[in-house]
Amino acid sequence: MSRSRERYRLVAVLLLLAVLHFALRPFLGDFRSSPDLLLLALLVYAIRAQPGQAAIAGFLVGLVVDSLTPVAFGAGMLAHTVVGYLAAWGKAVFFAENLVVNAGFFFIGSWLRDLLVLVAGRHMDQSAMVWQLFFWSPIKALTTALVGVIVLMLFRRWLPIRITE
Amino acid sequence: MTFAPDRFSSRRDTFAFLVCLLLSVAARVAPPAVQDTVARAVSSTALAPLLAVQHQAELVKESRSRVAAISVLRDSALVSAFAAHALEEENERLREILQLTARLPVRHVAAEVLHQSGPNSGLMVVLSAGSDEGVVARAPVLVAAGLVGVVHSVTPRSSVALLWTHTDFRVSAMTLDGSVFGIVAPRRAEGPNTMMLELSGVPYQERVPIGTVIYTSGLGGDRGVYPRGIPIGHIVAVGEEREGWSRTYVVQPAVHPAAVSHVVVLTGPAIDLREAFAEHAR
Repeated sequence: MSRSRERYRLVAVLLLLAVLHFALRPFLGDFRSSPDLLLLALLVYAIRAQPGQAAIAGFLVGLVVDSLTPVAFGAGMLAHTVVGYLAAWGKAVFFAENLVVNAGFFFIGSWLRDLLVLVAGRHMDQSAMVWQLFFWSPIKALTTALVGVIVLMLFRRWLPIRITE
Repeated sequence: MTFAPDRFSSRRDTFAFLVCLLLSVAARVAPPAVQDTVARAVSSTALAPLLAVQHQAELVKESRSRVAAISVLRDSALVSAFAAHALEEENERLREILQLTARLPVRHVAAEVLHQSGPNSGLMVVLSAGSDEGVVARAPVLVAAGLVGVVHSVTPRSSVALLWTHTDFRVSAMTLDGSVFGIVAPRRAEGPNTMMLELSGVPYQERVPIGTVIYTSGLGGDRGVYPRGIPIGHIVAVGEEREGWSRTYVVQPAVHPAAVSHVVVLTGPAIDLREAFAEHAR
């Protein structure tokens, strides 16, 4: 596959995830536990991107998130920037080819993002934060990881990611 | 797992990361007016098509539920007993909103709630109505059961509402007869689904019985933020006592934001609304 075609396909998958994030939101049930497709798009991008590019992508995703929910403006940008950078850096150090490792990667990315948003935002009281981090965030991370695995399986020919069972 | 040292971050990557980090910190500490301006600019430009997609999806979901409800009516009672519960709830909510809009004696706008997915989404939500429909900042947001929050910022096509779960939320409150006044604010969470409010500043000698419904007091008259008479919740327990001067009461909120899909935003003056909610209270 040529590099330009590879890039177009990656962009198509990322755009699809971004549109589905908004189009499917009303059908996904409780927003606290439903998968975060924007974050998933960022992590899928980070798998193959350089850490700097992933940080910039994370910053832009964070800007979108903070504009929609300006509870603690800037916290989302910070969190997504760090998650994007670390995701790309982590994948560079340990290149995972395994589906389970990828699922864990999505899970940790989602949970870490929530942790950073809440810590950088400091807008929740302690008990609400504990419930969010240890109850809702793991559920969201789990659903995001599950959808991430499905996306990788569905688009394994499109995404330049090697996966073994 | 394969060790892949050839793709470590370069200086350029580190520089990009640090620049993004600095910009994020700058955004975090920027004055609220600047933050709002940036958020509004992004929402009303780059995000406008995506929010329109989400709004259409909400409408599709609503239409689907209505079509399905008609099908359910046509189908046997047995099938409806299995499948109609969620639809009935959805229709009930829509019916309540319609009844409320008929009762409200003040200008208002109906809007869909466009829930987002971040960890902050239980504190603020996007509404599908904006300044084009007459929504302004600090307009109260409510449903038939009671108060949901207040409009925080507005773009032409959408707005952002601060919910009662947000730590900055405060509303002056009273009992229906106006004998007890206090301030309602969010209380610490006591479970994943048990966010409560607290009524504070109630004089020590005033007793509020368990079960008493608490309403907005309309402090500030018709120029205030909240009109008088919107249900906030009901007293479920006595909280802390402050050295014999005042008591705090725990309030079970009338509305759980996670369950709200349609709201009404008041756009007229803050006039007394006790009559509009009296029927619901009965």
